[in-house]
Formats: sequence, C-alpha cells, structure tokens
Amino acid sequence: MLIRKFKLAALAIFIILAVTACATQVQRVAVNKDIDLSGAWNDTDSRMVSEAMIKDMLDRPWFRNYARKHNRQPAVIVGRIRNLSDEHINVRTFVSDIERAMINSGQINFVASSNQRKEIRSERKDQDINASESTRKAMGQEMGADFMLKGSINTIVDMEGKTQLRYYQIDLNLISLANNRMVWLGQKKIKKLIKNSRLRF
Amino acid sequence: MLMREGQSLRTIPAIAMAGIFLVLGGCATYSQSFRAVERNLLKNDPTGALQALEKQPRSSRDQFLYVCNKAMLLRMLGKFKQSNEEIKKAKAIVQKYSAISVSEQTSSFIINDATRTYIGSPVEQIMLNVYAALNYLQMNDLNGARVEILQEDIRLRALMQDDPDSPLSVDPFARYLSGIIYEDLGEWSDAMIAYRKAYQAYQKHAALYGIAIPQQLKRSLIRMADKVGLYNERRKYEQEFDLHLAALQKGIQNTGELVFIFNNGLAPIKRESSVQVIEPKSGHMIRISLPYYEKRNTPVAYARLYLQSVRPHLKNVPKLVTKTEKVEDISSLEIETLKSQMAAITARALARAVAKDKLSDEASQRNGLAGLIVNIAGVLTERADTRSWLTLPAQIQCARLKAPAGLYSAHVELLDHNNNIVLRRNLGKIKLTTGHNDYLSFRWTSIEATTRN
Repeated sequence: MLIRKFKLAALAIFIILAVTACATQVQRVAVNKDIDLSGAWNDTDSRMVSEAMIKDMLDRPWFRNYARKHNRQPAVIVGRIRNLSDEHINVRTFVSDIERAMINSGQINFVASSNQRKEIRSERKDQDINASESTRKAMGQEMGADFMLKGSINTIVDMEGKTQLRYYQIDLNLISLANNRMVWLGQKKIKKLIKNSRLRF
Repeated sequence: MLMREGQSLRTIPAIAMAGIFLVLGGCATYSQSFRAVERNLLKNDPTGALQALEKQPRSSRDQFLYVCNKAMLLRMLGKFKQSNEEIKKAKAIVQKYSAISVSEQTSSFIINDATRTYIGSPVEQIMLNVYAALNYLQMNDLNGARVEILQEDIRLRALMQDDPDSPLSVDPFARYLSGIIYEDLGEWSDAMIAYRKAYQAYQKHAALYGIAIPQQLKRSLIRMADKVGLYNERRKYEQEFDLHLAALQKGIQNTGELVFIFNNGLAPIKRESSVQVIEPKSGHMIRISLPYYEKRNTPVAYARLYLQSVRPHLKNVPKLVTKTEKVEDISSLEIETLKSQMAAITARALARAVAKDKLSDEASQRNGLAGLIVNIAGVLTERADTRSWLTLPAQIQCARLKAPAGLYSAHVELLDHNNNIVLRRNLGKIKLTTGHNDYLSFRWTSIEATTRN
C-alpha cells in the first residue's frame, strides 16, 4: 500500500516536472552579465574587447605626445572594421561599443562617421535656406579628424570531435590622417573552448 | 482458452496479411508526401510550390527539410534575404540535433529510422553554406559570402576528420566557390589555396562518378598561380591542361566578370524498397524496408548565356556568349553518400526486424491477439527513411564571362543533349564593373516525366 502511494506521488512529481519544463520561460538579466550560449561572438565579447582596447589605446605614449604637441585632445574617427571571421558578426554594434568607450573616456574628440556627416550636412544645407540667422549653423566649420581607427576581427578554429577551440583576434590600428603614420596598434585575443554534448535525451 | 485462441490466430495467414498489404499502401513516406510541391516545381512555379509546402503537414523531426525547401523556393523567387534567414534556422537545427539522441535511437530501433530528427546528409549540410553564400553574392554582400565559405571550411574539415579517406569528405564546388569569392575580394593566396583544393577534389570525385574538371577552374588555376608568383606551378598547370597564360590574358584588361550559376533540374528522390516474408514457424510477417535513390532526369544538358551591350553605338557588336559547365553533380553525390551509408542502414533494419519479431513472439505467448497486433504494428511501422532535401538541383552548372565594364542585357538558352534549344529566357539587365564580379543565377526545375504519381 505504502509502495503504491509512493509510486503515485513519484508519478505526480514527474508529470508536474514534465509540464513545467515545457513552458517558455523568460528571465530578465543584467545587460552586463556574462552569458555564453553557443560559444559564438556575443555582446559580452563586443563590450569587453572595446573597453579593454580603448583603455589600452589611451594609455599609450602617442596620446600624451599628441596632447603635448598640439595642446588639445586628438580627434578620432572610426573607419572600416572588417569581419574576417567565420561568424556573421554584427560589426555595427562592435563599432558603436568602441565609439561609446572612446566618448566616455572624455579624453578624445570624436568625429561623426561619413554617413552621419552626410546627413548632418544635408540638414545644414536645409538650415541655410529655412533656419533663422541667429540659429543657422554655417558650413565649413566641421572638425576634421586627426586619426582614423581601422581594424578587423579574425577567427582561427581548431576542432577535434565535438570539442572546438575558437580563437578570436581583434586588431585595431590608429592611423594619422596627416601622414598615414600608424601611431597605435592594439590587439585583443579571446580563446573559447566549446564542448558540445555527444548525447541528448 | 486463451492458448487455443492464440494458436488459431497464429495461423491466420492469407486474409489478415492481405489486409496489411492494403493498409501499407496507404501509409505515405516523406518523399511520397512531397508530390504537391513537386507538381508545382515541374511547372517551374516556385510560388505555387511554396504555397503547397506551407500547406504540407510536418513534424518537428522534419523541420530541417521544411526550412531548407523554403529557403530554396524563396531563393528561386529572388528573395535572397529571407532565404538566408531560413538557412540560418536550418544551421541551428543541425547544431542543436547533432548530438545522438538516446530516445530517438531507441525509437529508431523499434519503430523505424524516420523517427529520428533529420539533420541532412553531409552534402545537404554543405549546400546550406553554398546557397547562403550564393544568396549573399546576389545581394552584393561579398563579406557575408566570405563568412559562409569559412563556415563551409569548418564543416568540410569536420567531415575530413570523421573519414579522411572518403572522397565524399571533400566537396569540389564548395572549394571552387571559395576560390571565386576570395579572388573577388582580392585575397589571392587564399583563392589559390581554394582553387588547388577544388582541383584535388574534382580529381577524387572524377574517379568516383566521373565528373570532369571544369575548364574554368583550369583557367583560374593558371591565372592565380601567376598572380601569386608560383611560376613553376603555373607552368605545370599550363602543360597539364594544354592552356597558356598569354592566351588567357588576351583582351581581359579593364573588364568585369560575370559569374553565372545555372541550377539544373531536381536532386534525386529517395524511394522505398521493401521485402515481406512470413516466418513459417511463428506465422509472423517480417518486413524490411530500405531506401534507394531514383534520379529525376532533366532534359537540359547545359545553358548558353548571351550578353549584349545596351549602348546604342555598340548594338552592332556581336553578342558575347558562354556555355555553362557542370561544377557540382548533386545527384551523384547524394547517391554515393547513400551507398556509403547503406551498410549501417541495412544492419539497423535487420536488427529492427529481429527485435520486432521477438516482441510479437513475447506478446503471442501471453495472448494470441496481442501477438498479432504487435506483429501488424511492427510491419506497418517498418518504413524506409526517404527524407532528403528535394528542392536541391540535380546539378550546379557555372559559366564565367569577362566583358568590358558597362550595362548589358542578358538572356539564356537551355539546350538538350542533342543541342536543341529547350527554352529561351530573358534575364534582364546586368551591370559589370571593372575588376569585380557580378553574380547571376537561373533555376530550371522541369524534369522528364519519370516521377511517380
């Protein structure tokens, strides 16, 4: 009798577990929390890399040399960052992470990208005709960038059976627009070991 | 009492079994259930095929095929972006279900192979990357295509690890396409490596099912070896192919290149072949069902592409013309892949037959009627796994044509094996830019009426 009751209880628990496991669960998590699902490039990588690299960029001598020589902060623009990896990485979010890290450092003047500039120029043109004299912004007053940041994201994948070693290398170069001199070369590497299960239920 | 009833039931032979045969005819395998989609494809009507596909009942086990077919039909409709979204879903299915499922293995052991989640044959998995890359190319997203060929490389490396000696672990067109993309990106050393790998793969595949090494690959090998400074290798290829760089370079200054992909016909379809025997001792019926491929022959042998400049003063200049060559024989690849898997499929089918017979034996000992029911269920559920990506073409053909930059109107002619024109179609206007490739594709799905109704 006792065994039968136990069996019934066990069955009930199993059914409850099975039913709750089927329901979709949504949980809010902090944006800066590190979550790795598939091992692919994700927001955490993008944030970590951009912050670390910009910090490194600002710690290097080129920055102090420039500030001392010109008595002002350098103006930087982000150029093309190529995705040479085997993943469809959203480079735009990575670029905006870099831009954010640069602006928030407060040590760099940041110039809008060429696409943004086009839009602003057309707005200025519009102001020229339609805005009042006191609020109109004149053309030819833009701040020219001193340096352009370019780079690439690369991956090297090694594997054995269900285990994959993903090695990301992110290279960023800061190039002087005045004379093409490369003033800083940053490199950040991420290594991920991904073990996929051989069995599932 | 029960024993007697069981014994009488054990000897029901003819009538009950005849009933089983009749019912068996009514159960459709995957390939049989695809008829509605196929009918539309035979009329070259991807819109109708897509509607039929959406109406088709599908199980979660066959989700891979649904998204793959949808991706291919969307591509045929020129919806390259949506097509790639479906391919992305297919890739996620492959990744999620690549691990062996304990429950599905058990059910495939006692029911049939089609109870397992389908994740595609190796060829089909490679074609996911190939078609995603082709979609990106047609959207002028060369970097997106580059990502796909890198993923394809990882997939091919995994295949190579599993079975290094099999020619099926290398895919010639996947490598050739990588070469075309790298060359277009100006990454010449990578292009050279890819062309070289393609050449080796074509040689291996030629030995297996007789695909010829495309002339365009031979030309690319010579040109690229010269570009990267491998002059000895270039001379070796020149001698081997009896082609010379000087002749290849004539008149190609300031030209753009058109890469024309012609997807011809429909990939072979899996059918079921079954053997039914009655075990004399127990009176149980034993059925073994195995899949085999049936080719869906296309009447079209190759395509001819014509380019005519739209500039009025060049109207009298003769049209540029090129002929497509077979660069991937998906039909033969699928057939060879199944051949290589047949030993394992047969072993599983035999083991299943033994297991099913044992089950009905055990049930008969308790109750004759139960034994019969188990036997019938076992026989009814014994179906071959006929799942495959049926909207894939039978062949991929390719032509590369260099022409001065400018706007052209393109048209294509499809020809049969006797060089008779089967179809002529206008492909609209294309713009060629100096130093870059432009990509154009055409799909023809009408096949000879060999498929069963």
